[in-house]
Amino acid sequence: MNISRKWLSDYVALNCDDAALCEKLTMSGIEVEAVEAGSKVPEGVVAAKILERGKHPDSDHLSVCKVFNGKEELQIVCGAPNCDAGRIVPLATIGTVFCTPEGEFRIKRSKLRGVESFGMMCSASELGIGEDNSGLLILPEDTVPGTPLAALYPGDTKIEVEVTPNRPDWLSMYGIARDVACLLDEEAHLPEIRIPECTIPAPGLVTVEDPDLCPRYIGRIIRNVKIGPSPAWMVERLESIGLRSINNVVDVTNFVMMELGQPLHVFDLDKLEGKRVVARRAKAGESIITLDGKKLDLTSDNLVIADAAKPMALAGIMGGEYSGVSDSTVNVLLESACFKSSNIRTSSRKLGISSDSSYRFERGVDYEMTPVAAMRAAQLILATAGGELASEAVDVAAGREPDAVICCRFDRIRSLIGTQVSNERIVEILKKLHLGVDKITAEKCEVTSRSFRRDVSREADLAEEVARINGLGQIPEVPVSGKCAMSIAEDTYYRLATLRDFAVRLGFCECVHYTIVGTASALTDGRFEAKDLVTLSNPLSADASVLRCSLFGGMMGAVERNVARGNRDLRLFELGKVFCATSGKFPEERYELMLLLSGRRHPELYSAATAENFDFYDLKGAVESLMELCGVSTRRYRMVKLENDRRFRSGRAAALEIDGKRAGALGEIAADLSAKWRNNAPVFTAQIEAAALWNIMGREKIEYKDLAQFPGTTRDVAFIAPESLEHGAITAFIAKCKPANLESVRLFDIFVDDALKKSGRKSMAYTLTFRHRERTLKDAEVNTTMDQLRAKLAAELKVELR
Amino acid sequence: MNKVIEAIEQAVKAAEERLASAADASVLEAVRIEYLGRNGLFPALSRQMGTIPADERRETGAAFNAGRGKIEAAMDAAAQRLQGGVAESAGIDLSLPGRKLPRGHKHPISQLADECVSIFRRMGFIAVDGPEIEDVRHNFDALNTPQDHPSRDPQDTFYFPDGRILRSQTSPVQIRVMESHQPPIRIVAPGRVFRRDTPDATHGMNFHQIEGLSVDKDVSMADLKSVLQSFAREMFGEKVRIRLRPHFFPFTEPSVEYDFSCVVCGGKGCSVCKNSGWIEIAGAGMVDPAVFANVGYDPEKWTGYAFGMGIERLAMLRYRIPDLRLLYENDVRFLEQF
Repeated sequence: MNISRKWLSDYVALNCDDAALCEKLTMSGIEVEAVEAGSKVPEGVVAAKILERGKHPDSDHLSVCKVFNGKEELQIVCGAPNCDAGRIVPLATIGTVFCTPEGEFRIKRSKLRGVESFGMMCSASELGIGEDNSGLLILPEDTVPGTPLAALYPGDTKIEVEVTPNRPDWLSMYGIARDVACLLDEEAHLPEIRIPECTIPAPGLVTVEDPDLCPRYIGRIIRNVKIGPSPAWMVERLESIGLRSINNVVDVTNFVMMELGQPLHVFDLDKLEGKRVVARRAKAGESIITLDGKKLDLTSDNLVIADAAKPMALAGIMGGEYSGVSDSTVNVLLESACFKSSNIRTSSRKLGISSDSSYRFERGVDYEMTPVAAMRAAQLILATAGGELASEAVDVAAGREPDAVICCRFDRIRSLIGTQVSNERIVEILKKLHLGVDKITAEKCEVTSRSFRRDVSREADLAEEVARINGLGQIPEVPVSGKCAMSIAEDTYYRLATLRDFAVRLGFCECVHYTIVGTASALTDGRFEAKDLVTLSNPLSADASVLRCSLFGGMMGAVERNVARGNRDLRLFELGKVFCATSGKFPEERYELMLLLSGRRHPELYSAATAENFDFYDLKGAVESLMELCGVSTRRYRMVKLENDRRFRSGRAAALEIDGKRAGALGEIAADLSAKWRNNAPVFTAQIEAAALWNIMGREKIEYKDLAQFPGTTRDVAFIAPESLEHGAITAFIAKCKPANLESVRLFDIFVDDALKKSGRKSMAYTLTFRHRERTLKDAEVNTTMDQLRAKLAAELKVELR
Repeated sequence: MNKVIEAIEQAVKAAEERLASAADASVLEAVRIEYLGRNGLFPALSRQMGTIPADERRETGAAFNAGRGKIEAAMDAAAQRLQGGVAESAGIDLSLPGRKLPRGHKHPISQLADECVSIFRRMGFIAVDGPEIEDVRHNFDALNTPQDHPSRDPQDTFYFPDGRILRSQTSPVQIRVMESHQPPIRIVAPGRVFRRDTPDATHGMNFHQIEGLSVDKDVSMADLKSVLQSFAREMFGEKVRIRLRPHFFPFTEPSVEYDFSCVVCGGKGCSVCKNSGWIEIAGAGMVDPAVFANVGYDPEKWTGYAFGMGIERLAMLRYRIPDLRLLYENDVRFLEQF
């Protein structure tokens, strides 16, 4: 919504400058979005007094004047006929820049026919503040020389405001003026509306078949209008808020809509069959060509204004082309009506057509303003297009809901807004907003809402009005207080944040991806098929039509983008919601955690350490560390070989089980999948159900264990084992042998050379640590234990001791 | 000079000579045992301290410590020499990069969300979570959104075939908490929300909000303003001021929008605040009595305030990130900056 300052000041005295006005508008809820200011007069033009006028020695029509600009006397050569001594006129001093359609033009010191001139005296048209170019603009005699002309001719200011949907009354100059008056402590007044009396009855002129959709319709005939251009003042007003002048009659409808907020329509009466209008629902098969030339097929949901035969206008939205005002129009039917907001909104949206009129009807127009606007429009049509009233105003009105009567308890208002504001001030504010205030006691008053304030119906609404006009800046800052009302145990965010912290502690870098993805991306996680996807009814596009069922696709996308940009060393994670439509498979909504490794393990290192790339055991280690951080002890989780999972390279994947239940999987991404994301480096990922960790996180008890007091002693054992003999089988075997005083077993080397490889074998070496809690172990007893163990390893595990 | 000092000096000289010519580590160990070991010279001298006249003790003690230090230093030097390499050169090259440990990076959205939550926790708010697939009742109806409100339009909100939606705001969490708890209530709900916007520099199909709700007896707009002012100071610094402007939301009455004084220019006016000195943050207000009625609270007994803000917006302000999409690209060169 655009406001013209000049136009606004027709209804309320504006006793402040633009900046203050804008501040007040914004701080009262009419948010100013843009201001286009002011004067068209260029900087450098000042008022100057002509001291002397002499003849130019070499010209008949030029004069040589002595001029005082407030500081000094200047010689100016002037061609205007009225540059008489004693007059105060505008003077463009040296350096002034005029912007003309032909380009910029700068005032310079110059010689005109041999006489020097130090500036230019100007006409109204040269300054862009009037049409007159017959001579200099003559300023009032008391104008002080030196006064900038911009201050004398401030011009208009266009203010663009955002109007919230609860305040349709702000969609007009007068409506804004009503609030501005309250803010500036002035009175808002309607324009003077006077028209000749006309009581010629017009039976049957207006029929309303559906009063629910059209609660009020006022129609009136004006005959013998002369369609032509609008007067300059009308054109200026419309242009000041960015509207284009069309012709005198159409301009009146736009002017009154902007002035009073009531959209209007004018029909060419002679084009209406039966010379009458009917407000009714469209019939099946009916259509209309609107003013902008579009053919619309209508349904019974659309309210139309029809003549005796067919729709002539889409009610409240746009007129029809056929019955619109044209240059040949002579007799018109003026419409001022109320239409049901929700119906206009639905029709406008369904038909894909909107207008300044529908914008206002959608938000609701003032039922009581409808007749006022009808009169105002009649007045202006008569004034600008001539003609005479040829019927009474036919007002078909179904009545409206009564105004709300609200009990306003002063203490309640104060306690809601937390501000000390007196009873008197509360009453004053409500009255100034044109609300009815009655039955004032020391505790309360009775407030009656108005037809233009349908948003005011409850005490809380009154609190808002008081807070708004009194100023939100008046609300004091108080110490923050309040009960800590719930248990921190309910703080779910804590678990999310902690899990993220854990991943960060392990050196991972967090990613955040969109929830809405394409089907193809979602289904790259082979655990899911199309029927598992949660699908949107109204996606923005085909590649954003389902909710991610897994973090897999998003993370692999991140790998692709990073690798394409040369970032090959990746240590990423994401923790986010994923969705599944198949109940029983997964909950509809759950959190998943995904870890991802690719590229070099320590890209920041140099020398020998640089070359090492991540492998599966880095990922396994990361998961193990995460389990430790989450308090999942080694007794509670295990990893088991995972086959036939399309995400992973065969034989390089494991399922994670916590407390015997599947909680995730980890492995090396299958090469064919990786290739889909244009990546050929190995990628290692783990996807873990966050809920499986949350059930344990923070609940695992940690209890201190005594530190060993006596030194331990270590023994190494190395052997050649078959390739298929797993580390876990070896440690389990050692544990089963129960060597005396064994504290721990640590693998320190696996080695495979060509020869071993050929024979399907590997070399393995372990360090065993022995310790006794109460004494230092003797070499001899440890040696004995070791000898027995070695023998068993050789005999039962069939390894070749080295 | 007393005899202890004399003995120390002799010992230092002898030890240094032996260490300087040591050919292997066994010499180092032998020197250590002889001089510094439990039965070595220095512990023995230490035991003799008691026999030194009081006026010489200070001097003797200093010589004792200096001597032991010299032997230790000579042992270190010898050890380095024996290990070869670096020790023989001029020393360390400080311009070589250190071997950094991987440190990990939390995404800026998570960092800002964490920070918001921790600030509000200090003010007694509990953080709660809610579903992202919501029903229309929690997302719109119970929040007093008119039936024909544009935000319900499938143009603006994502729908599922069963009529449910992707929540367009975190406000339904308010309703869920009020349905399951009686006042007093003091929560924040951080989370992901969805709008049917084509992604551009300031819009995305999803973004993150944090929503606050406090319901109690005699809660007022002054409490709301104070909580937001405290938040602004903790988040962006002591000097940041807030400004409330009247606005309209269906679920609050009175409703406001709130601005922070520009966190870049301090309010003087710059390109970030479009020369206004203020940066629009989000909306807030006193809980509308209709919302209380919808969850079965007595609006006469309880009052409350609610507020919301966008996490991405805060992150973009805090780090001056020019384009929202950078937050979702996950380029590690971006992520590692935070």
